[in-house]
Amino acid sequence: MAFPEDNSQPKLATGCRWGGTEEDRVVLFPEGAIKVTGTGRRILEACDGERTFQDIVNELQANYSASDPGKIRQDIANFLASLQEKRIVDY
Amino acid sequence: MSSQPLALIAEITHRCPLHCVYCSNPLQLTGVKLELATDEWARVFREAAQLGVLHLHLTGGEPLARPDLTELIQAAHTAGLYTNLITSSVGLAEDRLRALVDAGLDHIQVSFQDSHDTAANWIAGAKAHAHKVALAHAIRKHRLAFTVNLVVHRQNLDHLAEMIEFLAGLEPDRMEIAHAQYYGWALANRASLLPTRAQIESAVEIVAAAEKRFAGKIRIDSVIPDYYARYPKACMGGWGRKLMLIDPAGRALPCHAANVIPGLHFDNVRERSLQWLWQESAAFQRFRGEHWMPEPCRSCDRRLEDFGGCRCQAFLLTEDENATDPTCSKAPHRNLIDVALLTANEENDFAQPVAADSFRQLQEKTSALWSYRLNPE
Repeated sequence: MAFPEDNSQPKLATGCRWGGTEEDRVVLFPEGAIKVTGTGRRILEACDGERTFQDIVNELQANYSASDPGKIRQDIANFLASLQEKRIVDY
Repeated sequence: MSSQPLALIAEITHRCPLHCVYCSNPLQLTGVKLELATDEWARVFREAAQLGVLHLHLTGGEPLARPDLTELIQAAHTAGLYTNLITSSVGLAEDRLRALVDAGLDHIQVSFQDSHDTAANWIAGAKAHAHKVALAHAIRKHRLAFTVNLVVHRQNLDHLAEMIEFLAGLEPDRMEIAHAQYYGWALANRASLLPTRAQIESAVEIVAAAEKRFAGKIRIDSVIPDYYARYPKACMGGWGRKLMLIDPAGRALPCHAANVIPGLHFDNVRERSLQWLWQESAAFQRFRGEHWMPEPCRSCDRRLEDFGGCRCQAFLLTEDENATDPTCSKAPHRNLIDVALLTANEENDFAQPVAADSFRQLQEKTSALWSYRLNPE
């Protein structure tokens, strides 16, 4: 897996976009859709192509200050790398 | 039962400039006079979005044969649907492509028949290959998801690695390696299309190597064809569970090939709402759930995974639409598949691609090998 760099600017990949309703948000891609909730949704909504990976990590670490910051960083990296492999996220 | 379809497949026309020998369209094609009008499709798309449908797959025939395709995409996009165009690309020039993208097209899937010009045109029954290559380069100039689809079979699997290399050079986001499925014209041509076991085994290795090589760059999707698998495919994700197909004349079908099943009546979007068709129409209810299942499906642990396989294939091969799909290793009619495979594996005879000056001449030269898909009246 190719993990994002600190200055990578993740965004939804070509052909992927938001859909569904505000309560039921999904990311649509060519042959399917994934429902995203909770932290996954927060991360993906931050992937606007402007914020860097480091910005996103900082935001989430601030929001989940009780959790281990190193683990938060690693979880976000894993999450984005798995979506990058599926061609849902680009960075 | 799921409360809503996830995707709508709109066969907006059966007209097609290609004559692919593996086409799974019905042998009885719908003529242009019966096709739904622009505003009728627009209403269908609005109803689909209200029903919770996320994806619209525009297919055919060749969707580009409809002069109102841009308006149809606009209507689907406005309704909120993720819009996918499944096309040969014949009939698409750069300016029309731009118009489709501006109208809200999300994804384009272009079919390829081979990497070699002569072979591709021989399989398609049309001189289309060079145009597809040129158009693929034009597609990459747009922010549009791009899938290349390659149908593989006996006559091209021997150079699969070369075809994948060629397709990767077109820089798609996604590549579908689709084994021919034996419905419609493909079933009529099955003897010339069914691969050997050696071809299938080699294809599995080649695809696995390509997946690894292009990981993170090109997503490759491929499944083992059901004739060579142990269990049948969960056709359409189960009858009336996930997908709804509207044919060119507006009839709502649970599957592309469902009209081969005798005694099924397909209600029409001209008379009924999509919601009614999904929830109430007899055709959609016919094979929902388990009540219709015979043994060995009824007591099989996999019955909620593959739903007994494909109803249309069961009928086409056994003349009983309730039968276990014969591709299942437990099916009472499995011998039908085994006999076909035996014949396919007896010989390693592969045809040589031929070129011709006209479609008629091509038909004459290949009449012993296969029949080309024809166009509706």
